[in-house]
Amino acid sequence: MAIENVTIYDNTSALFDEIIAHRLGLIPLPTRLDLLNFRDECVCKGKGCPNCTVHYTLSKEGECIVYSGDLRPEDPMWAVVDKNIPIVKLLKNQRLILEAEAELGIGKEHAKWQVVCGIGYKYYPIIEIDEEKCNLCNECVRVCPKNVLEIKRKKLVVKNIEDCSLCRSCAEVCKRGAIKVRGDETRIIMQYETDGSLSAKEALKEALKILYKKYDELENVLGLK
Amino acid sequence: MIMPVRCFTCGKVLASLFEEYKKRVYINGEEPKKVLDDLGIKRYCCRRTIISHPVFIKGNEIKELIDEAAQYE
Repeated sequence: MAIENVTIYDNTSALFDEIIAHRLGLIPLPTRLDLLNFRDECVCKGKGCPNCTVHYTLSKEGECIVYSGDLRPEDPMWAVVDKNIPIVKLLKNQRLILEAEAELGIGKEHAKWQVVCGIGYKYYPIIEIDEEKCNLCNECVRVCPKNVLEIKRKKLVVKNIEDCSLCRSCAEVCKRGAIKVRGDETRIIMQYETDGSLSAKEALKEALKILYKKYDELENVLGLK
Repeated sequence: MIMPVRCFTCGKVLASLFEEYKKRVYINGEEPKKVLDDLGIKRYCCRRTIISHPVFIKGNEIKELIDEAAQYE
């Protein structure tokens, strides 16, 4: 959920209304998909009602910094997740009074609704060490950028397999060809973080639900069902 | 002007972390690398957004451009 419409009643700060509205829009808000509808799918037909819209008010007078935590929701359950995002600085006698409407949306429409950031994935690494060929020259341990390998009790062992980025530097540097690195094509390590509006687990669940729905549609279109 | 709310590239919320960064780097004089690691800012897109945000020193105070511009409505 993110702020979509802002009504500014008074703004005597240094920032323009548009900049403040933009900053408000980027603040992550708690998302409850079980309680709210998307506005265009709502019973109010996009007009905005308690089933699809959450109202916030903000009223502050300087001298102070206006933080995201100063946004007052109509119900405490909608309180802003990260309360320390500075919106604007006010000097003495400067004021900021506004009302904001938040609604659900998707990242395709605007990045402010994108829950997940910094996403990446790789094959699960498999490192095969041929102990007969290995002469413990330590060259692979030195060259590995992620410190995956180590020599323990006169034996080359893998310390933390999940850190391996499959760069194959160790395989390249080994003159005897004792190391082979490949990705397990049946398993994938996926890494992401969320902005706090949904938990990582919930975000994945919701994404999978949408994916299932799309595959169902595809099956229907192809007449496989 | 004022710290951007999110990283331009990936969308991580950074504005709430900048105050601690500012205090530790510019006032306590800590190494930026260490502070960024402590704050959990791993990706280089977020790191450059924080590092390249301009601040300037006026007297003994560390200021952003907003502090200077705030007097104009």
